[in-house]
Order: sequence, then structure tokens, then C-alpha cells
Amino acid sequence: MMKMTRFELKKIISKPVNKIVFIILAVTLCVVSWLTIGYVDYVDENGEKSAGIAAASALREAKNEWAGYITEDVLRKVLEENALIINSEEYLSADLTENEKAYSKGQGFSDIRRMINQAFCGFQEYNYYRADSVTQEEIGSFYDRRTANLIEWLNSDEQEGRYSEQERKFLIAQYEKLETPFYYEYADGWAALLEYIPTIIMLAVLITGFLVSGIFSDEIQLKADSILFSARLGRNKAIAAKIKAGFITVTFVYWTMIVLYSGIVLAVLGTGGADCAIQNGLAGWKSFYNITYLQEYLLTVLGGYLGNLFILFLSMLASAKTHSKALGVTIPFILLFIPSFLSGISVLSEVLGLLPDQLLQVCTAVSTFNLYQIGTRIVGSVPIIFVMYFTLFCILLPVLYQVYRKTEIK
Amino acid sequence: MKLVLDNLTKEFGGFVAVDHINLTMTNGVYGLLGVNGAGKTTLMRMLCTLLKPTSGDIYCNGKDIFKMDSEYRNLLGYLPQDFGFYPEFTVKDYLLYIAAIKGIRPVVARKRAKELIARVGLTKAADKKLKKLSGGMKRRAGIAQAMLNNPRILVLDEPTAGLDPNERIRFRNLISELSEERLVLLSTHIVSDVEYIANEILMMKDGAIVNEGTLDEIISAMPEKVWNCVVPQQSVSAITKRYKVSNMKSENHGVDLRIISAEKPCETARCVRPSLEDVFLYYFGEKVGDENDTL
Repeated sequence: MMKMTRFELKKIISKPVNKIVFIILAVTLCVVSWLTIGYVDYVDENGEKSAGIAAASALREAKNEWAGYITEDVLRKVLEENALIINSEEYLSADLTENEKAYSKGQGFSDIRRMINQAFCGFQEYNYYRADSVTQEEIGSFYDRRTANLIEWLNSDEQEGRYSEQERKFLIAQYEKLETPFYYEYADGWAALLEYIPTIIMLAVLITGFLVSGIFSDEIQLKADSILFSARLGRNKAIAAKIKAGFITVTFVYWTMIVLYSGIVLAVLGTGGADCAIQNGLAGWKSFYNITYLQEYLLTVLGGYLGNLFILFLSMLASAKTHSKALGVTIPFILLFIPSFLSGISVLSEVLGLLPDQLLQVCTAVSTFNLYQIGTRIVGSVPIIFVMYFTLFCILLPVLYQVYRKTEIK
Repeated sequence: MKLVLDNLTKEFGGFVAVDHINLTMTNGVYGLLGVNGAGKTTLMRMLCTLLKPTSGDIYCNGKDIFKMDSEYRNLLGYLPQDFGFYPEFTVKDYLLYIAAIKGIRPVVARKRAKELIARVGLTKAADKKLKKLSGGMKRRAGIAQAMLNNPRILVLDEPTAGLDPNERIRFRNLISELSEERLVLLSTHIVSDVEYIANEILMMKDGAIVNEGTLDEIISAMPEKVWNCVVPQQSVSAITKRYKVSNMKSENHGVDLRIISAEKPCETARCVRPSLEDVFLYYFGEKVGDENDTL
């Protein structure tokens, strides 16, 4: 079996077109890593902007001066510091460089300032200058405002009829369950990683499609199927070896991409902030999933892996059934792009929240408000898609085996 | 080894490709002869479990081959007509892969592959990629893969098609060497291949076996006679319209014709011993060329 699997892998690796695919994967990894590293920038006291390792290090130093629990005292201090900056000459100057100098002074607490903006704006709004007008009296309601905003949004005309009473209670309970005060430290490495990781995961599934779609159909295209199926193990272990080769290829490509990408980004931007709640971040502030950056990362990469396995094994099934590699290659494109076209239709949002593309972007899915009732329990889309697609993947394997096993050479 | 085909039929839609064949084969070389589209490949694919019959059964030593599944395929070696391969594999890799799917242990596979590479004359090309080999060399790699498991049943579908005369003779001799102690079924539409190496000839037409026997039995069973005569050029057209002409050769003083006919076609004609080609033409003649042609 091992020998057969090795030969199946050799068939994949030795194809000239697949060598090009590996080069594309390497280039993709480099480009996305470079873009991610550029996500974090630092403005020095002279108003000059920089990116890269040194910038990340300087920003980390500035932000970690504010590391710790975001208590009311910390929030008041942020308002005081912010007031000093917005009343400074540099801030009020018409010169952009002077403005940048003013910005540089507030970089250390910029995340906390942004959270104040989010807390004191409406649920669906964001005003960059809102923190400038928050008073010392108001700031005491910082954490309560987050829940109040949610309740206000749930009661708005726009959301009327969307959620049941049980679902409303679930969302509010999730918000109230979140531990406060938040623990804060520099977490820009994780934020940048989670911003771009869906791109890596989606490109991995699209490109790996070219590698695995031919595992079954190539036998027919090359007319090697007669010998395969007339061999002693051709209709059993040889098919299992093909499935195993597909699994190894998907696993190897995916985890190589993820480990290299995460390693590069975190090595440059830093691993600090892994235990901070995702609500510290811009995208995670409203999430009802009470998890840390590290937990979000693990969910995202595991979801991506499951999504890769499901979509690519579906591709293999399509090519095994139709004997067409072209159809197999198009399956990932269909599954990824159709939901994008339909995303504007709000009535479909609950259905779209359960499509396999969501597994490739769990870090985005944790910020959506799709709820589902299973028996008496209310759950978000993330646990459902994990269980649903793991089950479907487990069903796919014997189906693929049987479909190919029953192939007749006409 | 005994293969029994019991009322074997295969239909595709309404088209009957193999029509109620009853046949028993034991060790020896069987030549399956028929024009293109006679159903030879469909029959062989059923024998190799690549296609299931619409009705009827195939038994190997009394057991249904489809129920035997891998036990039967363990006895089988198959070289298909359209022999597909993995272009990026070397000959050695290819044989080791096929050995793996035939369930041969790696140590035995390496030894067997080496032996067969030598036997089919591919030692120098063992490390060459299959895509770099000539048609004849690929066929030799094909027969080597079929022989890897030392099969008791060897099925060769048009093994000499597309080979040049040298390669064909070489290939024929190789098949003869390999045919000892096993059942070999060889399909072809090249009459001389069968004539040289088959112990038993099966003539297939429109999905059915129309004649079977040894070369002598097949020839002697032909209901018509074969005549040889030299006629003037201007008479050729009239004769070819009236009789099946198996050979025509221009001479200085006329045209030398080989005619299949129950009656004497002309005064000067003399009766000669029929060849398998004459028998082939007798049974399949109407399929060769158009209705109004002269050749």
C-alpha cells in the first residue's frame, strides 16, 4: 500500500504542469507574506512612516507600554493623553508631517482609542473621531456600551423579525459572558495574520485543485485505466492508495503553506497578544464568540484544513465520476465564487453562512451574526460548519472509493 | 486453466457488441480474428473484468470471474489495444508500479521487473522515461507489465498493431516464448500474426464466433475453393465484380489473380491450397472496401 501511495505521489509530482503549480504556490506564499508584513506600520517622532521588522518592534514597544487590563483608570488615562494630542500644535497644524508627529504620540494607545470609538458609536457605525468627544464621566460605561449597542441594534427596525427571542437572549448572554476588563497587549502580529490568512487558505484550495483533480481522471485520460482495473489490487487497494495520495497532497500543501506563512509573519511582527480576546481588535469587537487571538487562529487554520479536504475531495469525486479533470479543477472555483456573488442577498445570509467557503475564512465567520437553532440550543455557524463538513468529508471518502471502483471501461 | 464463456452477451444501448458467445478455452494460444468493430475488444474487456456482461457468465475453473474478483485478476495479464502509460515514469518505475497494483512484494517485484526488462530487450532503456520510447519499445514494456505476475491467463488485444515488420516479428516470437503453460488470447486483424503463433483460431464477426478450430481445421472447413489464374488486364474488372479476389499481382503477360469461388472462375484457373488470409476474406470479405470498388 505504501509503495502504491508513493507511486501515486510520484505521478502527481512528476507532471510538468504540476511543477509549475508548485512554483505558483511558492510565489503566492511570498507575495501574501510580504503584503501581511506591510500591514503593520510605525510612525516615528519625526512623522516618518516605516514597515517591516524594525517598525513592528517599535510599535510593539509603544503599545506594550499600555499592556495590562483595560480598567476605567486606563480608559481615563487614554482620554487624557488623547486630549493632549488633539489640542497639540502638531495635531492642529495644516502640515501633514506635523499631523503624523501628533499621531506618533498616540500610537501606543491607538487600539484602546479605537475600542472607545467602537463602544461609543452605534453598532453598525464607526467614527474615528468619536473618542475625542467622550467625557471622563461617560467612559465608565465603556463595557456596558458594547452590550447596549447590541441590544439597540437587535431592537432596530432593520433587524425586526430576523432573530427569535431565544436568539436575542443568546447573543446578549454571549456578550455579557465576555470577561471584562479586557486584557490588552500588542497583538498586531495576530491581527495581521488573521487579516490575510483566508487569502492563503483560498489560494491553497484553488491551486491544490490542479494537483489533485487528475489523480483519478488521468488514468482514463492516459488510457492507463484498463491495466489498473485488470490488476489484482486495481479495484481496491490501488484506489485506496489514490485516496491516500490525495489526502497527503492536500495535507502537505496546506500545512506547508500555513506553517511557512504563519512562521514568517509571526517572526517579523511578533507573537505577543495571543491570549488577548479577539474583541480587542477592530474586526472582533462585535463578535459573540468569546475567544482569544490564538484560539481564533487555531479555529481558522483547522477550519481551512477541513475546508481544503472537503472541497478538494469533492473535486476528486467529480473528476472520478465524470472522468474530467477540467470539471474537478473548477469545483473549488465554483464553491468559492458563487457565495461571493450571492452575498448581497440578505435573505440568503443564513444559508450562505453554512457553505463550505465559510470554512476557509473562519476568522471572518466569527464576526457574522448567523444563528441556528438545533433542538433547544442556539449556536453560531462556526461549530455547525465544523461538524457538518467533517461528517460530509467522512461520507465522501467511501463514496469516492465506490464510484471509482465501479468504473467500467467502455 | 479453463475459461468457459456461457451465452456471453454485451449490449450498448440497442447495439449488440458481443452476441451470445459460448466458448471453452484451456491452455494454449487462441487467435481471435475479426475486422475492426467485430466485438473483439469488448469480449476481451469482459474477460479482464473491465466490463460486466449484459447477460451470460464467464467461469474460470468453474467459478464466476466477477465473483472471484481480485482472485481472478491475480491470474490475469492484460495488454490493451490502446496501451496507456504514465509518460513521466521510467520503464523500471512503471513496472514496479504495476507490480505494486498486482500485489507483488517489492523484493520480488524488483527481481521480476529486471528479468522481464531483459527478456523484452529493454535493459538499455530501463531508466528512460516512457514518453521517450518508440512505439515498439512501449509495446514491449506493455507485454512486460502483463507478464509481471506470471499470469495463467494472458490477454493481448491487438499487440502488434502499429508496429513495423521487424518489431512485429520480434513481438510475435516473444509471445510464442511466453505462451507456454498458460492460456493466451490474442486478438488481431493481422492474419499472419495468428497464422504463425495461434494453436486455435476464433473468427469473430458481428459479435459472434463464426468459426473456430486449428489452422488446418479452419482452412479445410472453408466451403469454397481457392483458384489461381493469369488473366488479361481487361478481364480483371469483370472478375473482381463476380468473385472475391484475395490477391492480385500484375505480370508482363497479364494479371495473376487468387480467387475464392465454389466454381472454377476461368478455363486456365488451377485449384491451390487456401491460406488463412483466403479464409479471412471468405468470411469477412464484404466488409473490406466499398461495394463498387475493384480492389
